Amino acid sequence: MWLRVAEILYLLTISLSLYFLYLSRTGEARTVWEVIHPALLPTLFLATSFLVFISLSSEKTAYKMLFVIFHSVLVHSFLSAIFPAGDFSGQQMVLGRIRRLQDDALFHGWPPGPFGSIQSELFAKFGGINFQGAIAITISQMLGADLLLVHLFLVPISWGIFTPIAVYLATDMIASDDKVSVLGSLLISAFPYATYFGAISVPNSLGFIFFFYSLCFMLRYVSSNDHKTLALLVLFSFFSLFAHYLTGIMSLSLVLLALAFKAYKDEKVSPLTAKVSLITAFVVSTSLLPLSLIYLKFFRPITQTAFTLDKLSDLPLQDIINLVLIGELAYGFDSRTIVLVFVGPAIALACLIYLIYDLRKSPQSGGRTQTYFLIAAFLMVLVDYRILKLFMKGLPFNEERLWVFRDFMAAPFVAVALYSIGSRLSTSLRAATSMSLKIGSIKQLANRKPHGFSSKLLVLNMAMSTLVGGWITYSLNAAYPRLSTLQTTSYELEAVKSIDETTKDKYVVIGDRWTIYAGERIVGISNPRAYYFAEFDRIGLDLFTNMKQDPSHRWMLEAMNITDTTVAYFIISEPRLGTTEFNTTVYKAIQSGLRWRVLGEGKLYIFAYEKE
Amino acid sequence: MNSRFAAKLESYIIQDKYFISSFLSYAALAAILVNMITIKSPILGLLATLSYFLINGVFLGTAFFAKENGFLKLMLGILLLTMLLGLVGWITIILYALNTVTLILSLVVVATVSSVLRRTVGSKGDRHPA
Repeated sequence: MWLRVAEILYLLTISLSLYFLYLSRTGEARTVWEVIHPALLPTLFLATSFLVFISLSSEKTAYKMLFVIFHSVLVHSFLSAIFPAGDFSGQQMVLGRIRRLQDDALFHGWPPGPFGSIQSELFAKFGGINFQGAIAITISQMLGADLLLVHLFLVPISWGIFTPIAVYLATDMIASDDKVSVLGSLLISAFPYATYFGAISVPNSLGFIFFFYSLCFMLRYVSSNDHKTLALLVLFSFFSLFAHYLTGIMSLSLVLLALAFKAYKDEKVSPLTAKVSLITAFVVSTSLLPLSLIYLKFFRPITQTAFTLDKLSDLPLQDIINLVLIGELAYGFDSRTIVLVFVGPAIALACLIYLIYDLRKSPQSGGRTQTYFLIAAFLMVLVDYRILKLFMKGLPFNEERLWVFRDFMAAPFVAVALYSIGSRLSTSLRAATSMSLKIGSIKQLANRKPHGFSSKLLVLNMAMSTLVGGWITYSLNAAYPRLSTLQTTSYELEAVKSIDETTKDKYVVIGDRWTIYAGERIVGISNPRAYYFAEFDRIGLDLFTNMKQDPSHRWMLEAMNITDTTVAYFIISEPRLGTTEFNTTVYKAIQSGLRWRVLGEGKLYIFAYEKE
Repeated sequence: MNSRFAAKLESYIIQDKYFISSFLSYAALAAILVNMITIKSPILGLLATLSYFLINGVFLGTAFFAKENGFLKLMLGILLLTMLLGLVGWITIILYALNTVTLILSLVVVATVSSVLRRTVGSKGDRHPA
């Protein structure tokens, strides 16, 4: 009965959470925390607690996983659901290129050259944006929905569905218990960095999903001779490389490690040779990522990654120790964020140390090889992060992306640890209850035995559900940024849309970086029909600076000549420029005779000039 | 959700008797094409897309994840289907362009590959719906 009540309450609270998320939607905000509905987090906390309770019950796995997926999709959709155009996280640039990919592929061939070398051309063709673009364009056409909407929700929904399943499969390999596996699939949402990457639509996030599955099939492969498992391992590793080089390199590193574990398990070589090969494989696998990043410049000339000892020689000892222990969080993060980011991996580390000790006592236990493999993979990521952080410079991404790998590998161990603690408490409770009953009368024993234990067990389950539910919900505080610049506003998007809808000729838009981001989301970047200069294009930035100082048709004509267009627009908004500069620029532009239009209740002006 | 109904539906799709499931997958494609060209309704698009994903997801799930339970089989099948759509779409973009015609052709290719894989990779002995 309690299970049915929990399920009904879960469905009710998760639906309410969805409704509160919908109510939080806004046209102008910096962070989600500014506008989030005050009832959302409390309701989500209740929903999560009920979900933990359900996941520890004997309900069918399919139903439990379905509930976990609802929850996971919701917690990863904050940015896409609240902001009109999603978060500033690179996903707007990805969409800008996907829009261009759609247009350029039709008219000019894709990817646009020249490339300079065959390697660069290969990199451009195999780049993850093309793959993500192909999926997003296909689905948007199939649904008849706008590409912006599909792009924004592509990763939150894919991550929300497929990542819990991947964690379920990975946990099942080491725990072989359905309840622990479902708990693990829920606990991945307690890792802030993983949650953030599941909330933004960039190729790296898709790569992470494929990596998770390649790791799952590696775990299967080390203890089976099934050809299908091997084929799936290769398939997912290939797609993780296809989506992003970081996830691809990590997959390849772990494939090496998996092969070594497989050889060790099959005992095809002597025990000593097998152990040496295991250690060698660990060292080679660990060094593959740093070495690959050095040679990335061969395919991507702008990458200038190199090994360095500068950080060690320049930084004080205290900073180096902090970097080794907590990485980037050593720099100005509050204690809450540090605790939330590290509590999961710390529990996982404690659990794996215990497991190493425990497995040595029972060498014949099932899942031993898989557990050791996952421990080795987890340690490999910990070492790689520190190599990248302390001994390398010029990386093409921030080193903290490795935390997503770490978090995925940590989630199964955290589930095992929490479930073991719960089981032990339950056993102690059973023992304590039966002891207290022994000293009671026979009549009391007949009346109180089932009720006493089951109600205490219920309280224990509820306490654990509340604790884990609270942790998962509270970790969202560290997952979604608390500081940010103003996100793309609804009136910036409206400006870009209205220009595109009302202009029949080819046009160019002069604007700041934020206008360019809005343009990327609707018409793409450097689109010959609707031209927005690329984010870091010096010409576009100079034109905007000149227009701010001297808003006249002179710069607009220049922009039209550069881009071979016949209409030019100049967009400014008050929140981006500041009131004084905004008012001055608007006054000068009106004085110079440019046509103008106002949006966002006077916060945004569009000035236009047409070639005669 | 009725688990017996889900199991029956899965079994029906897997059997693909007289290629009915494959035919339904192509019918969903036809609906997508009509919707893309004339109707442009997101509701029709969603229904047709869900049908396409359900049928071909079950095909691929049965071909590669026969030992999993019904739910996991479907979900993993849908993941493989998404990957296949991405791969075929990517090849189309690199070779030519992803317009209405090539997109529908890509979807036909993916549906056919899924159906063929179900019949070749997924053996009869593997069938055991949840």
